Amino acid sequence: MRDSTPGPWAIEADNLWKRYRRRWALQECSFRLPAGRVCAMVGPNGAGKSTFLGIAARLIQPSTGTLKLGGVPVDDPTVLTRVAYLAQDKPLYPRFTVAETLRLGRELNPRWDQALAERIVRSGDVPLAARVGTLSGGQRTRVAFALAFGKRPELLLLDEPMSDLDPLARDELSGLLLAEAAEHGTTVLMSSHMLSEVEEMCDHLLVLAGGRLRMAGPTDALVPAHTLVTGRAIDGRVPKELAERHTLVESRVSGRQFSAMIRTDGPLADRPEAAPDAPWDAMTPSLEEILLACMRSPDAPALIMDEARKETAA
Amino acid sequence: MSTATTTHEAGTGSGIASGPLRGTLWLVWRRHRAALLTGILVTLAACALFSYQRIGLMGFLGGKDTGAEALQEDFRSRFGSAFSSDIQFLQLVPVIVAVFLGAPLISAELERGTLRLVTTQSVGRGRWLAATLALPLTVVVVCTTLLSVVFQWLWTPAHSLAVGGDWLSSGPFDVTGPILVAKTLFLTAVGVALGKLIKRVVPAMLVTAFTSAAVSLVWGEKVRTLLGTARSIAYPYNGNGPDLASDAVRIDDWVATADGRLFGFSTCVHDAHPDACRAKLGIVNRVTEYFSYDQMAGMQWLGTAALLALTALVLAFVVWRARRRPL
Repeated sequence: MRDSTPGPWAIEADNLWKRYRRRWALQECSFRLPAGRVCAMVGPNGAGKSTFLGIAARLIQPSTGTLKLGGVPVDDPTVLTRVAYLAQDKPLYPRFTVAETLRLGRELNPRWDQALAERIVRSGDVPLAARVGTLSGGQRTRVAFALAFGKRPELLLLDEPMSDLDPLARDELSGLLLAEAAEHGTTVLMSSHMLSEVEEMCDHLLVLAGGRLRMAGPTDALVPAHTLVTGRAIDGRVPKELAERHTLVESRVSGRQFSAMIRTDGPLADRPEAAPDAPWDAMTPSLEEILLACMRSPDAPALIMDEARKETAA
Repeated sequence: MSTATTTHEAGTGSGIASGPLRGTLWLVWRRHRAALLTGILVTLAACALFSYQRIGLMGFLGGKDTGAEALQEDFRSRFGSAFSSDIQFLQLVPVIVAVFLGAPLISAELERGTLRLVTTQSVGRGRWLAATLALPLTVVVVCTTLLSVVFQWLWTPAHSLAVGGDWLSSGPFDVTGPILVAKTLFLTAVGVALGKLIKRVVPAMLVTAFTSAAVSLVWGEKVRTLLGTARSIAYPYNGNGPDLASDAVRIDDWVATADGRLFGFSTCVHDAHPDACRAKLGIVNRVTEYFSYDQMAGMQWLGTAALLALTALVLAFVVWRARRRPL
């Protein structure tokens, strides 16, 4: 399963911790993300997604640990020329016109691409002379995207970019995002609540829960690593060899039936040892099922795929 | 073709005087354009008014002795209200600037989240902060200097007549010379700092208004008279006096013994036998404490130095707060 593309890593997080006054928002977060991926960061509210994005955008200082973006440590101010960040509420100056908002990008960014930004704004029929405060939510998000892409970033950080959009605008803007990211080879890291959106758009995943990284890796490797086993419960419990020989992520027993989400470590038998007459069913789960199981069981061991693993020694 | 048109639109749409400004300075100018332009226009209008008033004043004063009693009456009826409203306006300038420019300067960015927009562009936080503070404060310095200089030009020929010649506590002290500039800078810096701490525009403006009122009160009641050493003049208890210049400001009156021991002004006044009481204490003189007009400039510069030092302190706090938290 090792797909070690040699080359630059868009993100290398090494043992990042962030403590707010009372609680840890992020704990021993270590992973790396290859350049050119569209990566989703998934997790319940308060999982540490916004904290991580804030650290990457230099808005939040980590308590300990290091973070490199494109090989440059995040405490080097020049990192901001390579990274674009879009906050959840997409702050823009409401009294600025769209043209002035783009001028803001031009004035503050040396690598600004005016033609690209204007093309993005224009393709959504957003008038350049309109004040930002008069635009609809979708149009405003489009302007914010234009500002982010006009910066020509190597890495685009998006904090729940689609959460406040209607389905039509969401569809339109996710198309725009993927097309622009593919055209310029931009690495995208976006946090999201919408699992269907994640499944459609992203080829890499980070799952956070309770401030810890639960899962990290390419989508097409994470799914085959999981198996959903259903069958007859033994003494009202999940057959014990599933937990002993494999990694049990989540299990449920309802009546005489059990269902268990496991990560297979080696070949999976087709029936329990205790009751050889009752074979279980093994299925490949959907990504959504895996994500839900992973978020529901914060105590299950984390799965960090080799490609995403950050060697602390290195 | 269409691109060219758009660039042109973008250029004209971004407003007057944005031509020479680049980068963060352009952004700060565009953000506060309305407030700064209003300030500049009001300044120019006020300076024009002061100049116009000076023409009338010089015509009136032409060759007359400003000490004459009759002239004072005449002056009061013709220029009294103009001077007092000029002074009231100038006394409000520091408070208005602090509340409407200082308080929202950073708090508006925090409240709307646009601080996260500007500080995640390619320029560093430090440069953004420097431009945010420097450009508005420079405009404030230029405008208040202009106001102060032009008003002083109007007021100086009539300094012993305007507001009854009381230059210390009736306003001229605070609105001429360097004091107007320093006071405006200080209160504006306080507004910026409060905005940084409170993070909400309206509460920051309210607290700034209250703080400005408190500072003005303390300034007027406690600080002003500490800026210079009052002079005193003694004259016989039953004689005429004091023989003060018409532009001196009387601070306090005492009674005193021949060797200079001071007693409160009302000492012995309510005694059954005032003369006997005074004789017993040895009171033979009255003493008047006053500031003379030639002390004014020195006192103003001392006050300015104190205000500017405080301003520097407050601004250093703002920079330290803004740089410390996020990277």
